[in-house]
Amino acid sequence: MKEKFIELKEEFVLNFIDGGRWKWLVDGLGNTLIITLFATLIGALIGVIIATVRSTYDKNFETLQKNGGIGYYVMKVLNGICKVYLAVIRGTPVVIQLLIIYFIVFAKSNNDLFIAIFAFGVNSGAYVAEIFRGGIMSIDNGQFEAGRSLGFNYVQTMIYIVIPQTIKTVLPTLCNEFIVLLKETSVAGYVGIMDLTKAGDLIRGRTFSAFMPLIAVALIYLTIVLILTKLVSILERRLRRSER
Amino acid sequence: MNDENNIYKDDGFIIETKDLKKYYKDGTIKALDGVSISVKPGEVVVIIGPSGSGKSTLLRSLNLLEIPTEGEVLFRGVDISAKHVNINLHRQKMGMVFQHFNLFPHKTILQNMTLAPIKLLKKTKEEAEKKAIELLQKVALADRADAYPSQLSGGQKQRIAIVRALCMEPEVMLFDEPTSALDPELVGEVLDVMKNLAKEGMTMLCVTHEMGFAKEVADRVIFMADGVIVEEGTPGEIFTSPKNPRLQQFLQSIL
Ligand SMILES: Nc1ncnc2c1ncn2[C@@H]1O[C@H](COP(=O)(O)OP(=O)(O)O)[C@@H](O)[C@H]1O
Ligand SMILES: [Mg+2]
Repeated sequence: MKEKFIELKEEFVLNFIDGGRWKWLVDGLGNTLIITLFATLIGALIGVIIATVRSTYDKNFETLQKNGGIGYYVMKVLNGICKVYLAVIRGTPVVIQLLIIYFIVFAKSNNDLFIAIFAFGVNSGAYVAEIFRGGIMSIDNGQFEAGRSLGFNYVQTMIYIVIPQTIKTVLPTLCNEFIVLLKETSVAGYVGIMDLTKAGDLIRGRTFSAFMPLIAVALIYLTIVLILTKLVSILERRLRRSER
Repeated sequence: MNDENNIYKDDGFIIETKDLKKYYKDGTIKALDGVSISVKPGEVVVIIGPSGSGKSTLLRSLNLLEIPTEGEVLFRGVDISAKHVNINLHRQKMGMVFQHFNLFPHKTILQNMTLAPIKLLKKTKEEAEKKAIELLQKVALADRADAYPSQLSGGQKQRIAIVRALCMEPEVMLFDEPTSALDPELVGEVLDVMKNLAKEGMTMLCVTHEMGFAKEVADRVIFMADGVIVEEGTPGEIFTSPKNPRLQQFLQSIL
């Protein structure tokens, strides 16, 4: 029993204390959080824009078609671009997207962290867009009509009336997207970024001992996810209470 | 303001429709099948008819919430159903009240009322709020200015919806069954607001099943069925000596 304990202690020292390797995990965690946070923001921005374009097209199809002209074609093209984006992003693995953006799109850039943020943001945007579109579609059509009948144009109606209500309904889902993304960024190591997963793996490679570093990494992810999940459910309850 | 008014070619009517048609599902549903009306400034027109006869479609075509399949909608002499018309400018002058109120749930009563005047008429917050409070006092709801719509009764919501539209200082008000979603005991307070509005000379088009209201304030009653106007006349003509058998039957069924 005692021997086992000493063995574990030695393992721990070897993996985390020697050479200050615990700092790798801290740095890795920092990168993971930075990538996740900014990618979520980019994703939310892309998502709102795409969702707005798509639902604008769907809801105003009749008017656009009647007026014809440039507006109709601009919207048709924009809507087409959005559809292609959604299909491509949701139809390919995130690792491939990351590799393509890293080695092809930004081949000349050295700012690895930025590239990773961009890649995961672009990926997340596709999922957030559909979350938002669902949110927009769930708002009672009477809200659109009230806005339009007062004289607001479509975009103003979206900005002042529909999107504020949508954000409230999709906020919990958006936070869940952050949690999903936190785990998805664990493939950032593919392009040489030291995120939390990569840090654990580097330690494993250096110490030739897999148990401690990998379990430690898993526990860190798990702890963060559990905390965030709890926060989201508190948020959900708050929003529901402020509803009525 | 004057520049803007120049586009209108006032011809004695505030709203006209010319042979208005609205078809759905490739023409298999004819919600409107050739409707022509003309409404003079200050007139109160009540539209009645059985469910599905096209009353809402007609009313919603007037501010282009429904896009007509054929025909024209004229507002102060200008065809606002034509291509490339900036309908948003015209809609500012046409208030609309819906059956289900459609207040903005994320905004207070005061914010509901001042949003459009601030953003569209470029009023300052103070100006817009002053006007809103005046109107709230008229409908005896000034004490609810900071409440949210969910804290109001149905009758209160509809009174707010009416004054929200009035904040834009419209030239005509369109009502689509404004009391149909209300508990019976709340109908009166909304009708009172509408009666006052009529007395003040507002041009009104109102779809309603409240025949008492029609008799009391309407200058003209239009009876619709199957997407066309079947009969129209003064309340006296429509209610005491209806000619068309369908109107006679309709009046019997609702009394
Ligand atoms: N968006 C729509 N799609 C298909 N049919 C519709 C639509 N809106 C209305 N209609 C049809 O048009 C007819 C007239 O409807 P409406 O104007 O709402 O009647 P009312 O207000 O008199 O009850 C009805 O038969 C209705 O089913
Ligand atoms: Mg109706």
